[in-house]
Amino acid sequence: MGSLTISNVTKTFGSTEVLKGINIDIADGEFLILVGPSGCGKSTLMNTIAGLEEVTTGQLLLAGEDVTERSPKDRDIAMVFQSYALYPTMNVARNISFGLEMRGVPKAERDQRVQEVSTLLQINHLLDRKPSQLSGGQRQRVAMGRALARSPRVYLFDEPLSNLDAKLRVEMRTEIKKLHKRLGTTIVYVTHDQIEAMTLADRIAVMKDGVVQQLGTPNEIYDNPANQFVAGFMGSPPMNFVPCEVNSDGSLAIDTSGHSLSLMIPQSSTLKAQNIHRVILGLRPEMLTEPKPERVGDSVMALEMDFDVTEPMGADTIAIGEWNGIEILARLSPEAGLRAGKKTPVQVDLSKVILFEPESGERIR
Amino acid sequence: MHQTVKKQSVLDLLEAWLPKIIMAPTTLAMIVCMYGFIVWTGALSFTKSRMLPQWDFVGFIQYEKLFANPRWDVAISNLVVFGVLFIAISLLIGLVLAIFLDQKIRGEGAIRTIYLYPMAVSFVVTGTAWKWILNPGLGIEKMVRDFGFTDFEFRWLVDQEMAIYTIVIAAVWQSSGFVMAMFLAGLRSVDDSLIKAAQIDGASAWQSYWHVILPILRPVFFSAIVILSHIAIKSFDLVQALTGGGPGYASDLPANFMYTFAFNRAQMGIGAASAMVMLFGVLAILVPYLYSELRGSNRG
Amino acid sequence: MGNTSMSVGRYAIYACLVIFAVLYLMPLYVMITTSLKDIEEIRQGNLLALPAAPTLYAWAKAWGSACTGSECEGLAPFFFNSIRIVVPAVLISTLIGALNGYVLAKWRFRGSEFLFAALLFGCFIPFQVILLPMARLLATFGLANTVTGLVLVHVIYGVAFTTLFFRNFYVSVPTELVKAAQLDGANFFQIFRHIFLPISLPIFTVTIIWQFTQIWNDFLFGVVYSGQGTQPITVALNNLVNTSVGGKEYNVDMAAALIAALPTLVVYVLAGKYFVRGLTAGAVKG
Repeated sequence: MGSLTISNVTKTFGSTEVLKGINIDIADGEFLILVGPSGCGKSTLMNTIAGLEEVTTGQLLLAGEDVTERSPKDRDIAMVFQSYALYPTMNVARNISFGLEMRGVPKAERDQRVQEVSTLLQINHLLDRKPSQLSGGQRQRVAMGRALARSPRVYLFDEPLSNLDAKLRVEMRTEIKKLHKRLGTTIVYVTHDQIEAMTLADRIAVMKDGVVQQLGTPNEIYDNPANQFVAGFMGSPPMNFVPCEVNSDGSLAIDTSGHSLSLMIPQSSTLKAQNIHRVILGLRPEMLTEPKPERVGDSVMALEMDFDVTEPMGADTIAIGEWNGIEILARLSPEAGLRAGKKTPVQVDLSKVILFEPESGERIR
Repeated sequence: MHQTVKKQSVLDLLEAWLPKIIMAPTTLAMIVCMYGFIVWTGALSFTKSRMLPQWDFVGFIQYEKLFANPRWDVAISNLVVFGVLFIAISLLIGLVLAIFLDQKIRGEGAIRTIYLYPMAVSFVVTGTAWKWILNPGLGIEKMVRDFGFTDFEFRWLVDQEMAIYTIVIAAVWQSSGFVMAMFLAGLRSVDDSLIKAAQIDGASAWQSYWHVILPILRPVFFSAIVILSHIAIKSFDLVQALTGGGPGYASDLPANFMYTFAFNRAQMGIGAASAMVMLFGVLAILVPYLYSELRGSNRG
Repeated sequence: MGNTSMSVGRYAIYACLVIFAVLYLMPLYVMITTSLKDIEEIRQGNLLALPAAPTLYAWAKAWGSACTGSECEGLAPFFFNSIRIVVPAVLISTLIGALNGYVLAKWRFRGSEFLFAALLFGCFIPFQVILLPMARLLATFGLANTVTGLVLVHVIYGVAFTTLFFRNFYVSVPTELVKAAQLDGANFFQIFRHIFLPISLPIFTVTIIWQFTQIWNDFLFGVVYSGQGTQPITVALNNLVNTSVGGKEYNVDMAAALIAALPTLVVYVLAGKYFVRGLTAGAVKG
């Protein structure tokens, strides 16, 4: 009932093209997350789905019906805003039921719906309060309640958690995930927080400059990014990018702490065959670890590195060294016996490294 | 709740047009009654209309007559005297009172209320009151004489040379409290830590006002000057009520000149020309101000 | 800075503030005392003296029988003229300004910002430049010397200010509220009625007080566009003061001035906070 097709949607403001031909098919019940840096067009895309902004060209299909020209109220879509946008003069109950009131739903039915929704979100005790008397987390729940009350075909969430403190954010994230499981309604969710994206999404669309860079499951996006931008955007701490010369045998030349290394990687034969001389090596910090005897294999290589700075994070320690004059992060166990300025034995797992074209940032496969 | 929905209905279309429909009457009134009328008055100033408008254009004759008219000369030089004194004194009093009031004064609310109440009354009332207070026979002059200074003379109101200064007094009385309120709001918005920083740097109270706070208040000075000069150029009712432009026409301002010629003397052409000169006077002050305001807001 | 010089300085500041307060109050004091004296006492006595035998004679005459030109009915009829002008003009201009401001803040369209700038500019025009054509327009529609005509003039030239007030107030309302309400199915007027009106009490107060003060105190439009019997109180006050039938009665002049000033003074005393807010809002851009 709630499938959503975004087809060739463009949007221009004056002479700036904010959306440059977006195509996304969202299945009924899917949780789709739009991520990207600010100004990438994700919020504009959200607004066009809601009908708050008109598309310049293209089409929006909701459950197979063309809704491109429809006003927001006729789209049967609800939205949760970053600022919550609760009506300041109405109490919580009226905030939740306002949409039903505007649609002419009788009072008794409205009250019943408010009860159901507030029970679901555990905000029964707040129904008589004004938004100004609520905490951030409570406002967040009311904003969700307002969206739920109408049982729309699609929910839009516009960075709903970014105004909450870190602890509450994690809590609400879980809550939203549970809610989606329970309701099974289509959700389109905008965020710039890649952890939210990884944890919540069925699929993620990574956007930049008004273009969808990659659309895929969280694992696809993480393990198999389409280009350097996606690779760099998803993951924390971010992926290391090291510019390398390619040796004649297809291995990569790395210079670290005064030694030269040659990394033989799975792609080496391709590099040799295609006669490629320079690449950018993409290496996630967790691929560079303390030696783990159980992981020794063809693609694992032992080496020693100097680390200038270490940042203990509790579960593991981020250590910063240098490859080819570029800072490189390693994710080590706190027990790895790190000492600044002293050579530390580490291992690098090359089985999942990724290569990019230095100029375009495109993947070399 | 999956309701049936129509394609864009007539109502939706109307809804989309509503903002424009609502702005339409105001837009029309603005085009006709502001900009249209300015053009109309401008055109009229190039005709020899007297009692009724007539549309044979005679070039700049009305402007030549206007600037040859001694009465207009008086009005313009009065405006300069009045404008400069009114603005300077109001700024000075307003600033000093604001700085004093900003010293955590007990009863500040009451004092502020007293300073500002003249702004609530009409200039006609102000004029009437001061006309009585400055009355040569019975007002301040008599009061001081009663105190024993029997030779005291204070007859500015009936003095050709001095009448314009009575208008300055009354106008300052009415508007300086407002300037105080503007400066006080400005002072209150100055970050406390700046003053503390200046104190730590060893500045005395006087020095921190002079070197740190006043420079921050520059925009308030600008706004106050623009508003006060705007009041000065438009001043009409105060003169009418206080001196009637007299004695003779010694205390006329351009607005009074315009009114007299356009409505009492049936000299529409000259009246229109004088109105246009006033408009350009306002523009000369306003355009640079708006320009700097807009540039400022674009930066921010 | 020693403690002693500090306190001496503070005394000086207090003294200065009090002296100015006295100066500001002096005209009001003189008006009130003079209005309560009889004419003999005014001729003999001192400007600052309290009335020896307070009498309401001057007030009664100013209200009911003083001459304002050829008629001698006091200020009463003109007081009611002013009310008949002010009430509709304030209500209409405020209502239009509220809707305009709502549109210009939250329903922008191509050219609406330009429209606002053009309107803003209108706040600064010296009205002398529109006096003559407006007189012709009123005459054309048979509205010269009528209360309706004056109401119209005040509405037209007041809307620029009221629009400015409401627009600047509504701009600070988060646009997400409008979007949320749109998704909730509310239309243009429902959003105004349910979301904007309930939070608008302060700005309505500011605007109504501003417009009331401006229109009640207006003299220029009153003197140009009113005729016998439709003059507002400011014009009548000026006529009363400048009519000299028999001896000059300063006590009547002062009582008349106080009657003309009373409504706006009462508003100022009751709602000074909103009055000042209006002044600064109107002044910063007007």
